[in-house]
Formats: sequence, C-alpha cells, structure tokens
Amino acid sequence: MIQRSFRQFGLFLLASALVPGTQKQAMSHDPPSVGKEAVRRQVRLPVEDFSLTDQAGRSFRFQGLRGRVVLVTFMYTTCPDVCPLLTANMRLVQENLRPSERPAVFFLSITTDPEVDTPSVLKSYGERYKADFSNWFFVTGDQKSLERVWKIFGIKVERKARGLVDHTSLTGLIDKNGIMRLVYYGAAPDPKRILQDVRKLLSHP
Amino acid sequence: MLIRHLSLLNLLFFLLAGCASSERMERLYAQRCLGCHGPSGKGDGPVAVSLPVPVPDFRETVQRRSVSQIRKIITQGKGLMPAYGPALGGAEIQDMVRMVRVVSQQDRPLEWWERIEPLVWAHCSVPWEVVLGYDQSSEEEKP
Repeated sequence: MIQRSFRQFGLFLLASALVPGTQKQAMSHDPPSVGKEAVRRQVRLPVEDFSLTDQAGRSFRFQGLRGRVVLVTFMYTTCPDVCPLLTANMRLVQENLRPSERPAVFFLSITTDPEVDTPSVLKSYGERYKADFSNWFFVTGDQKSLERVWKIFGIKVERKARGLVDHTSLTGLIDKNGIMRLVYYGAAPDPKRILQDVRKLLSHP
Repeated sequence: MLIRHLSLLNLLFFLLAGCASSERMERLYAQRCLGCHGPSGKGDGPVAVSLPVPVPDFRETVQRRSVSQIRKIITQGKGLMPAYGPALGGAEIQDMVRMVRVVSQQDRPLEWWERIEPLVWAHCSVPWEVVLGYDQSSEEEKP
C-alpha cells in the first residue's frame, strides 16, 4: 500500500516537473522604462470634473482647482518601482516652487490601487515623502469612481496581485482652465523641465 | 519497514515545504524589494540609480537589527520605501524578513533571482495608448 503511494507520489513529482508552467525560465530583467527619460508631449485635453476622497478623508472635487495650475500623477503606495520616482519628482517640483508661486500650483496624486490605498495609508505615504499637504492631495475613491478618472486621463490599470498593480506611468500638467496641456510619459520626468513648464503656464495661461 | 517509509515520506514533505517556502520568499523579494535593493541587498537595483536619494546597503543593518525591527520597517516603510503592511499578510511579511536575512548572507550566488518569473517590471509594461487625442499634434507649440 505504502509502496504504491510512493510510486504515485513519484509520478506526481515527475508530472509536476514536466508541466511547462511550473518550470522556471531565465528571463531578461532589463526594466523597460525605469531610468529612461520620460517622453514629453503637448496636448490640449479638457479634463472632466470628478470627485474623490483626499488623504484626510475629505471629499475632493477637481472643479475646485480651477484657477490653479495642476500637476497630476498616478501611483499606488506599495509600488516597488516607478511610483517612488514619480512621487519623488513631484516632491522636488513642490520644493522648488517660489513662495509666490505656491498658491497658484496644486499637486494631485491619484491612486491606482483603491483596495490598499485608504485615506490613512495615503496620508502616511505622503508624510514619508515630506509632501506639503497644503497644495498636494493624495486621492482615492471607490473602484467605479476611480475607473472613470483613469479613463479621463487615459490610464490603463491592471491588478496583478494584492498591492501589485500594473499601470500607465503618466504625469500631466493642467492649466488654470482645467485643460491638460502637457503629458510626461515614463518613470522619470525631469523635475526641472516640469518646473519650467509650470512657470510657463503660470505666466502665459 | 513502515516506520522507515513514513520517515522518508516525512522528509520528502519537509523538503517540498521548504522548497515552496523558499520559492515564495524569493518571489516576494524579486517583486517588492529587488528593484531598489538589488539581488544582494547592496542597494544597487536598477531602480536605485533613478532615485533622488541613495538606497542603503542593508546587509550590515540586517545583522544589527532584531527580527521585530526589520518587520517594522517592512510593514511601515521608511523614507521612500513602501509600507507593505497594508497590502501583505503576516506570513508574507515574515517571508520577506527571512529573505532579507538570507540575501544578507555574504558570498551568496546572485543568479537566484534570474530563475524567478517575476512581476518585477510588470509596472512598466503597460504601453501608453494613443487615447483621447493625446497624439493629435506632434508639433511643439507654446503652452
């Protein structure tokens, strides 16, 4: 009886080894976009109004930002590769704004993982980056509301596992009239270039 | 005879369980840590060069710190490092703690992570679709 079990177990092991999906394969680990300069492109895309929830749990409405230049990006807090770069770049732009410019510029980080990113999780994330919440909101919402927002900005989101989400790496610059004027596609948009673009929009709306 | 067979079966079970756990640890590390910390924990992962701050070499730090201190960093994050507590379960966090310790061992072969089919760069693989008129004008115009 036991010998038969052993034979069956041996056959199971052999079968497992032969199933293609269980075999590990060597593969290239070159990151396709990390470290590469982001593509910068001029656009003219009116952004529809939407409502989400900020890091303090308050209701946030995009329409309320009219009259300010808005830098928007998409991220999730447990992202291990691109989002830290995007958020760190936003932080650099915020840090380098002149005091006179600050009230006219707003930063918006929109999550791509509402399952994990609750307002309190987003607040901790922002604090770790030393974000100044006076003109930078980290926003979340229910899946349906966020799907609409992702669609507005052309962001594709694919959930791979809990806390692991594949999404388009996009930073957008929106003018005072709510029209997206520039997009930076990629992990590492140059913060100096973004700052220049922000200043252009502030001075020549 | 029966006892010998049962012992052998037990041994096989533990070996297989160990392999599964090891693979799970390696996959977790590859997916969540390797980008910045690199395959040996030196802080030389491919993402590290693009970060505005250097990624510390955690090998010595891990030796100096207790398991609960390492778990706290993984759970709550530190600096630009994500907080994995909200996303991962206790067993996964524990696997990460163990893997960080394993990676910190000196003279460990670095090829281990190439065997894993990872989601390491999954995040970067979504192409930018030409949508909503983004691509209407390729000519530069004054903003």
